[in-house]
Amino acid sequence: MLALCDLGLVLGLLFLSTPAMGSCLDNYQELLGQLQKQADFMQHTSMLLDPYISIQGLDKDGLKKHCRERPGVFPSKDALQQLSRQEFLQILNTTLGHVLHRLRTLQKDIPKAQDLEKLNIAKLNIRGFKNNIHCMAQLLPGSLEKTEPTPTGPGASPSPTPISDAFQRRLEGCRFLHGYHRFMHSVGQVFREWGQSPSRSRRHSPRRGLRKGKHRTHLSSRNKRLMPRGWLPR
Amino acid sequence: MALFSAFQTTFLLALLSLKTYQSEVLSEPLSLAPESLEVSIDSARQCLHLQWSVHNLAYHQELKMVFQIEISRIKTSNVIWVENYSTTVKRNQVLRWSWESKLPLECAKHSVRMRGAVDDAQVPELRFWSNWTSWEEVDVQSSLGHDPLFVFPKDKLVEEGSNVTICYVSRSHQNNISCYLEGVRMHGEQLDPNVCVFHLKNVPFVRETGTNIYCKADQGDLIKGIVLFVSIFEEPKDFSCETRDLKTLNCTWAPGSDAGLLTQLSQSYTLFESFSGKKTLCKHKSWCNWQVSPDSQEMYNFTLTAENYLRKRSVHLLFNLTHRVHPMAPFNVFVKNVSATNATMTWKVHSIGNYSTLLCQIELYGEGKVIQKQNVSVKVNGKHLMKKLEPSTEYAAQVRCANANHFWKWSEWTRRNFTTAEAAPSEAPDVWRNMKSVQGHCVVTLFWKPLSKLQANGKILFYNVVLENLDRPSTLKLLSIPAPANGTELTLDQCSYQIHVTANNSVGTSPASVIAVSGDPGNKEVEEERVKGTEDGFCLSWKPQPGGVTGYVVEWCERPGDPLCDLQWKNLGPNTTSTVVSSDAFRPGVRYNFRIYGISTERIPYLLEKKTGYSQELVPSDNPQVLMSNLTSYSFTLSWKDYAAESQPGFVQGYSLYLKSKAARCLPGSEKAVLSDDSICCKYKIDNPKQKTFVVENLQPASFYEFFLTPYTSVGEGPQGAFTKVTTPDEYSHILIRIILPMIFSILLIMILCYLKSQWMKEKCYPDIPDPYKSSVLSLIKSKENPRLTIMNVKDCIPDAIEVINKQEGTRKSLTETEPTKPTYLYLLPTEKSHSGPGPCICFENFTYNQAASDSVSCGHVPVTPKAQPSQLGLLTSSENGPKALGKNYVNSLGEIPAGETNLNYVSQLASPMCGDKSSLPTNPPEPALCSEYKTQMAIPMGLASPPSITLLDEGEHDH
Repeated sequence: MLALCDLGLVLGLLFLSTPAMGSCLDNYQELLGQLQKQADFMQHTSMLLDPYISIQGLDKDGLKKHCRERPGVFPSKDALQQLSRQEFLQILNTTLGHVLHRLRTLQKDIPKAQDLEKLNIAKLNIRGFKNNIHCMAQLLPGSLEKTEPTPTGPGASPSPTPISDAFQRRLEGCRFLHGYHRFMHSVGQVFREWGQSPSRSRRHSPRRGLRKGKHRTHLSSRNKRLMPRGWLPR
Repeated sequence: MALFSAFQTTFLLALLSLKTYQSEVLSEPLSLAPESLEVSIDSARQCLHLQWSVHNLAYHQELKMVFQIEISRIKTSNVIWVENYSTTVKRNQVLRWSWESKLPLECAKHSVRMRGAVDDAQVPELRFWSNWTSWEEVDVQSSLGHDPLFVFPKDKLVEEGSNVTICYVSRSHQNNISCYLEGVRMHGEQLDPNVCVFHLKNVPFVRETGTNIYCKADQGDLIKGIVLFVSIFEEPKDFSCETRDLKTLNCTWAPGSDAGLLTQLSQSYTLFESFSGKKTLCKHKSWCNWQVSPDSQEMYNFTLTAENYLRKRSVHLLFNLTHRVHPMAPFNVFVKNVSATNATMTWKVHSIGNYSTLLCQIELYGEGKVIQKQNVSVKVNGKHLMKKLEPSTEYAAQVRCANANHFWKWSEWTRRNFTTAEAAPSEAPDVWRNMKSVQGHCVVTLFWKPLSKLQANGKILFYNVVLENLDRPSTLKLLSIPAPANGTELTLDQCSYQIHVTANNSVGTSPASVIAVSGDPGNKEVEEERVKGTEDGFCLSWKPQPGGVTGYVVEWCERPGDPLCDLQWKNLGPNTTSTVVSSDAFRPGVRYNFRIYGISTERIPYLLEKKTGYSQELVPSDNPQVLMSNLTSYSFTLSWKDYAAESQPGFVQGYSLYLKSKAARCLPGSEKAVLSDDSICCKYKIDNPKQKTFVVENLQPASFYEFFLTPYTSVGEGPQGAFTKVTTPDEYSHILIRIILPMIFSILLIMILCYLKSQWMKEKCYPDIPDPYKSSVLSLIKSKENPRLTIMNVKDCIPDAIEVINKQEGTRKSLTETEPTKPTYLYLLPTEKSHSGPGPCICFENFTYNQAASDSVSCGHVPVTPKAQPSQLGLLTSSENGPKALGKNYVNSLGEIPAGETNLNYVSQLASPMCGDKSSLPTNPPEPALCSEYKTQMAIPMGLASPPSITLLDEGEHDH
């Protein structure tokens, strides 16, 4: 029943997200509102982390405290706040691409189909969110080439270093998911700041309509430093 | 052969000579030692793999050898395993041997060495051990890396219930390491300062994703662990094989439980047949097909092996192919030659061999139930005749077959539906009648019950009613009433008829049902008996009829209160004298009336008995309206004659009268009873339900009582109602009433009479008095200027005596009448001193002006007191004040006039307008009688009075 409710909520968010249906909203505020809501929704540990901990048997007192995000895996909130909007969207898009890849890896350690349900929902959610990031990037001056719509098939994200140890793998997966939820919380806060102070954008302001290819911005060196460790382009 | 023996002997001799040579040179025996020993590890399986070879063997030489292998742990002196491994050895052959360690190899350094010996009977002289090889050391720890903590074995897959040894290798000596199994701390043994071993026995299945075992330092975030995958692996169940066409065997099974294995480690199934030696890998987890060999192999011995990462599990099945034949379902199934009672079923079967016979089973279904079951042996074509079928009935026939020689399984059913043909109705309709006479005609309502499906044998199209006049047997009348009518109404000129009713379908006519009607409806007066109903119905019985009776009919209405009472009847045989009438329509509290008829030999029904009863009696639904009468001081009468006891939902057996009073004791004939509100009262029980009046006696006068009457049935009393209040009258009140009421009536009558005759009474008792000041006499006096002439004031008068003369009521005339009438005068009865001075005068009194006087004085002479008040007399002299003073005081002064002083005659006080005004007042004394009918009141001085004009009437002329 809970899974059904979650699925309904996800689908609702995805249907709100018109980019998932093939086109972008050109209303900045509306799109920003959607991104905020989706980020708020995705930050909940009940979406991924909690079921993962339960499935993998990590819900023991001695283990829970080891299920903490490793520093540097995901950009911190402060780092995200320092970014321009375009850079922020770029980082967000890339990070979520890697999250998708990592989720596919975690999927292999979950044998039961019913346990995979939430994982698949989360993947759907991330894809929809990435599409909205793409749309938001199109609304900002100097749209980013990097924030392309999420392909429906599996992407070619770099695979993390394989860990043969199942226990270590599930601990790392747990830490990763913890970091993911924390990261989405920070993303939601950044989006909220966008809504609260639209003039905060130091270098760019939203524009209406799509503008492709005019001002393509590439990752700055600082952005590269903020890329998750191990995910930097090789 | 001889050549081979010679060659072998030559070889051995050469070998021995070589041995002898070596012994001589090296001074030690020849040994076949293992060489090139290599040890490798398989961490996942915790295995040590050894490989070596024996180089000293001659070319193509093959000897049986035994190798003794020693395995030590941590240090070479700690030998933990010794095993002799025998095998046949060839020159330079690489030999392999594996050993599975219970302790993960990473937990400790292992060392291996071995030696060999010839174990061949052909060269018994070589049966001595060679030298040990050097220790081969296996140290996995050295290659682990620099992590501070390791836990082994990694990702081990074990079966549920097995024993597992776990260890951790710590590189840090500063931290204490604690290990946990699913959060529960484990306690192990220290293998060396860096290694601790834990022995887990009978490991349980926790979850499919494995059991978490981890070790962590007491301080810091150091944690390492393993996942122990525990598997539950059962052997396949219900393994079975069969063939449907003798070409393919289909083997099926139910996979055993396989929990705890990840997807990539799932089971595989292999089917092996031992006689043919064939093997196939099954693609499905629960079934597998096997091609039957064309060489007429009859026996098959199958082994089904289920295998997973850990182990194999097998089940076996041996059978004869012909004993595992599951035939295909019959085909070309038809139902032919369907008549009203018979049908033929035909079918074909798939052949299962040249000599095989199939046993086929035919089932016939009617109304969802199996009504016929038959087995038939069939080679190829099957045929079966189904008999005793019901006409116009839907059936379903199905057939299945099995191997007749070696039954294994039935084939699937093949089913066909069919309907038999119609036949003529087999039974006469059940007919009954209801008769009544309307305007000299006999109205007969015929009822019949629809035939059952078995009786109708088809769809009933119409009913034929034939009326046969019994008086004129040759006269017949036919009525055809289309179905589904269940009755008809006939108006007959007379009532002697015999009625034949038949039901007809498309095939034919049913037997006729005969009923006769006669002039006598047979409803003779029969006393109604009561019958008690039960849940099962009404049990009715009647007296057997001595005469010829062909049967009995019990008749009743299922809805008694309804004009369409839903007449029901039940036919019974002539020897029956009782029956139970039951119906789902019977309701509690409803009175049902039953009539029992006997059927004469002429088929004429006549009423025998009447019964009435309730299937379940209820308490009365309402209470009677009670009227009270004859209330006396000691009793009153209650009556409820309008109460319809028959309409109650039970037989009213009587009435209960509850009487409340202040008296502590109940009156005779009653008993104390407690009401539902816990109040206590007296209860009279009236046992006769026909009694509709009751006298409550022995009451107390002037007492307050309350009563309540309710009927009761066998179930109980009626609803609780309100008590009626009554107070008995006082003992003497009736006497008082007898006196007071007539008196009040009389007074009222008198008052009415007085009111109606008030005018008469007034005239009789207190007539009006004329006003003297309004008399015309005054003007006459003034015109004569006679100063002495004045109106006499009453106060001035000293009356001596007064006589009032009046005329009778009948002589009164209207003022407008011109006809002169005889005047009526007041006459003063003078005294002897009436001529002197202002002497006494005569006073006339009109009682109209003095109510007090009128009340106290009756008509007639007025008693006059002789006293006179001077002042009052003086007032009379004033002409201006005269009228007023007169009006106020004259009455009083009346009695003050002294007797003997009257010297005035009175004339009429009022002057009629006909008498002229004052100036035209005639000199002659007026005739008062002409002016007024009032009594004269004016006084005139004697000197002015003309004797001829004023004549005092003599006493004889007084009109009283």
